[in-house]
Amino acid sequence: MSDESGLWILLAGPAGASALYWALYRYYRNTDKSHAFEQDTTVKAAPVTGEDRKIDTVRGTQERRIRGDNVGAWRARVSRLR
Amino acid sequence: MTTPANPPPLPTAPPPVTGLGSPQDVPPLPGSFPVDPGTLPEPIRDELQAPDPVALDTTASELRDGLNRCPKCGSTDIRLKLGSDLLVCQYCRNEWHGTRVEEAFGLGEGLDQLRGTVIASGARDIQADTASLMSFRCTGCGAEVTINTESTMTARCHWCRHVFGINEQIANGAVPDAVLPFHIRKDDAVARIRQFVDKRRLFALKAFKDQFTPENVVGVYLPYMIVDGNVSASIAGKGEVQTRQYTRGTDKNKRTYYDADVYQVDRHVDFTVDDLPLESSEQRGNLDVQANTNNIINAILPFDTKNALKWNASYLAGFTSEKRDLDVERMRPRLEDQLLSIARAQVAGSVRRYDRGVRWEQEGLEVHGTRWVSMYLPVWLYSYHQPGRNGGMLHYIAVNGRTGETMGSVPVQQWKLLLAALATGTVLEALALWIVVATS
Repeated sequence: MSDESGLWILLAGPAGASALYWALYRYYRNTDKSHAFEQDTTVKAAPVTGEDRKIDTVRGTQERRIRGDNVGAWRARVSRLR
Repeated sequence: MTTPANPPPLPTAPPPVTGLGSPQDVPPLPGSFPVDPGTLPEPIRDELQAPDPVALDTTASELRDGLNRCPKCGSTDIRLKLGSDLLVCQYCRNEWHGTRVEEAFGLGEGLDQLRGTVIASGARDIQADTASLMSFRCTGCGAEVTINTESTMTARCHWCRHVFGINEQIANGAVPDAVLPFHIRKDDAVARIRQFVDKRRLFALKAFKDQFTPENVVGVYLPYMIVDGNVSASIAGKGEVQTRQYTRGTDKNKRTYYDADVYQVDRHVDFTVDDLPLESSEQRGNLDVQANTNNIINAILPFDTKNALKWNASYLAGFTSEKRDLDVERMRPRLEDQLLSIARAQVAGSVRRYDRGVRWEQEGLEVHGTRWVSMYLPVWLYSYHQPGRNGGMLHYIAVNGRTGETMGSVPVQQWKLLLAALATGTVLEALALWIVVATS
């Protein structure tokens, strides 16, 4: 095992402690719970329309995802079109 | 003293307007029209003089005097038969079923035809000067009976034992269009709360455990607006599709690189929502988890609002209630926020091909029509006040009065939780050190 990965494993203690703290805190206090209206409400939607235009290419990036990926963050508002 | 034979003359109508009006002009008197309709052709006159449509009138005029009488014997001692939607007369045991608003007012139909803002009569704006204390003159004996609509909707006359309910849709927000009666009994709610807390005892605050008495749970009717909407949403952003993945560098400095195509992604979706519930009390609608635990009550939504019944105060006998204090216009920003969230969830399926994700940058919402119906929904609420800074924190454990869904906030004993976290961290760290020493 290299030196680098050996140092990396020393983070296990603090990471494990804070993960357990937050997991238990949320289990007791349920601060992350709210009504999942996106799934629970009866929504009748017409088929989604739209268009996709290729505008650019990215070469040699090390990021696994697009920067600012918010496809799953439905409740985070972005700038509003008026 | 004699009364004048004729009432004083009405003020004369303003002189006819000449030229085109503009929004800067003082608006004309309500119901007035600049030209005498009698001089106009018949089709136009008929149209002008036709009565204005009342959007959705849910008032129960037969209950106006505050007495809900048993249709069989006329007694006013009426209660909800728990576990059903039936009203039962405590005197002759006659049972009957209320009218479902869904069918009575066609609330489930024509959502795609909704235009403008349709507000049911129980969801109208609250007038600031309307008192929440209401007094009735008992029709049985003439005594004055006062009801505080902040928390109760029924009262019993002390003298003749008549039971009164507030059925008239007064403009203080206390009388909604519909009510969803309790189905879950108190002992059932107590058992659910006990089970919920039993699963969270180890790290719970000691004072909370000592004082835990789920029998103190109260049945509360909380005010909600049930909103139907017909909307279109447009969302725009950038999406990336991976075209190549490769590694560079030698053994130790190996790095993974990606190539991707960037797309401009535009999406548009038209949809209708049916029965979206929104808290219509300002305090309950504030879901700031730093300051309160209202998110607990929010999390036990939804209710089977399709089964809501036309308002009758007898459903509330024996329960408390909270009054609505928000008007439709003040709730609109929260509705639009939730509609945008729904739109984003709807389009998520159409951008799966972007395996490196999508960054939405702009979103727009066009609300074609909304329909607002105010409702009282049943919640069993257990509360515990934890003292602390800024007045402490009020912890709720809530049970949905229809489905039995339970959610709660159990205060934690911080030192116990920290100790457990530190102990786990120490064990993990010791293991990590052992691995480092063993492999070096």
